[in-house]
Order: sequence, then structure tokens, then C-alpha cells
Amino acid sequence: MAFRGGDDTYTMEPKDTIQDRVRARDAAMRLLNRLTAGAAVSAVVGVGLLGAIGALTIPGTPSTAATTTSTATSSTSSSSSSGLQASSSPVSSSSSSGVAVSGGS
Amino acid sequence: MNDTLLWYTTRGAGAVSLVLLSAVVVLGILSVLRVQSPSWPRFLTVGLHRNLALMTLVFLALHIVTAVVDPFTHLGWLAAVIPFSSYYRTFWLGLGTIAFELLLAVVLTSLVRGLIGQVAWRLVHWLTYACWPFAVLHGVGTGTDAWSAWLFTLQAICVVAVLAATGYRLLAGSRDPLARERSSFLAAVDRREQR
Repeated sequence: MAFRGGDDTYTMEPKDTIQDRVRARDAAMRLLNRLTAGAAVSAVVGVGLLGAIGALTIPGTPSTAATTTSTATSSTSSSSSSGLQASSSPVSSSSSSGVAVSGGS
Repeated sequence: MNDTLLWYTTRGAGAVSLVLLSAVVVLGILSVLRVQSPSWPRFLTVGLHRNLALMTLVFLALHIVTAVVDPFTHLGWLAAVIPFSSYYRTFWLGLGTIAFELLLAVVLTSLVRGLIGQVAWRLVHWLTYACWPFAVLHGVGTGTDAWSAWLFTLQAICVVAVLAATGYRLLAGSRDPLARERSSFLAAVDRREQR
């Protein structure tokens, strides 16, 4: 419903309705932005949290496993190239006296 | 970077990506069903669906990059692009690659929807129904934590949510806003032809 008064046109219900709709749209846009930001923050926190929970439940240490694997690989390759395997125990000197063997050819 | 940190980030980002993807699927179904209320207009569902889809791609990228650069797994970039080319859990990892590429296709075609047209966009968008199960199966088959209680619960919630939304959509049928006008028009045409 609208009526003219002088140079101005006055609207009654439609104007309010439009303003209400604009207001509702702005509120919904603000809600969309808040929800998107909230989801982004939650997702970032979620990666950290779920990663931590995963670490607690299955605390695998891939770096340790990788080191162990590489050590085993290098040990195998060195032994195969030289044909000898190094002893794990350190070399120690003996303090006992030597034994002479005679009669050997 | 610490290898262990990369591994945990891969697992965390994978779980978050699955949750986000499930939310995107549910919101997509709700937008098709034209769910709305005075405090929740329909464009809010559509907007959130679009924003979360883009966010899913970001976290999927994090999941993939951390998995590829992790020196422990030695996956290589080829495994992230070509399905079933990885030596490590070939089948399950291949499903994840397919799911990622399907999602990429869905998101990219949505961004150029105006150029490719509504029909082509809709056809590609239907691939989402293939993408999501592939992603779930990838998580179950490849995931280190797949049978941990926390991830199992998370996966169960995602599966129930998507199945409930899909079931509701199937039962509710199409909510075409012009359905009544269209049927009355067709009925009027029929009456006129019968005269």
C-alpha cells in the first residue's frame, strides 16, 4: 500500500517487508561467515586433536622404524660386499701367556 | 620436519577431511530438499555447502602432501595422481586417489558452472555419490587408526548421517517449487487437447 504526499511516495507494509528481508539476509550472511570461520578453526584444531589422539592410541615412531630399517640394510650390504661381518663385541687384549706349539709342518 | 609429526598430521587431516566431506554431502542433499526456516534461509545451506567443499579440498591437500613427503611411507607424487600405482596398500590407496580426483572434478565444475551449463554440471555433481563411499573405504582400508575406537565412532557417525540424508531424500522425492504450476499447466494442456 502506497500513497503520495507532495513529492514523496510513502509506502507502508512493503517498505517494512523489504527492510525486514534485507535485515534477515544480512543476519544470515553474518551467520554464514561465522559458521564458515568456526568450521575452519574447528578443522584446524581437529587435525591437531585427532593427530594427538592417534599418537596416543597408536604411538608409532616411523622415524625410529626407518632408522632401524636403514641400519639393517647398510649392515647387510657391507657384509655382502666384503664377505665378512664385523663383531659386535669390542676387541680385547689377552693377558695370558702365549703357548708354543712345536712339531707342526 | 619431524617424520612422526608428518605421520600424525596425515592421520588427523584424513579424519577431518572425511568429516568435512560427509558434512558437504549432507548439506548438498539438504539444499536439494530445499530445507529452510525463518532463521535458516536456503542460501545459507547452499553457501555453507560451497564453503565446506572448498575447505575439504584444502584439508585433503594437507592429508596428501604430508603423506607424500613423509620419508617413512615413500609414496611418491605419482601415487597421489595415478590410482593403484602405489606399492603401499595399492588397492585402498587407489580408492583414496579416485575419491580425491572425483571431488576435484566436482568442485572445479562447480566453479565454472556458468560456462559448462546446468546439465553437464549436474551430471558431474552426481559423482559425489561415488566419491564419498570411496573416501570412506579408503579410510577403513588404509587408515592406521581405522579400527581405533575414536576413528571407528567418527566414521560410524559420518556413515549414519550421510545414509540418513540420502534415505530422506529418496523418500521425500524431488521438491520442485514449480511442480504444482507445471502439473496444472500440463493438465490444462491435456484438457484443451481432449476438447
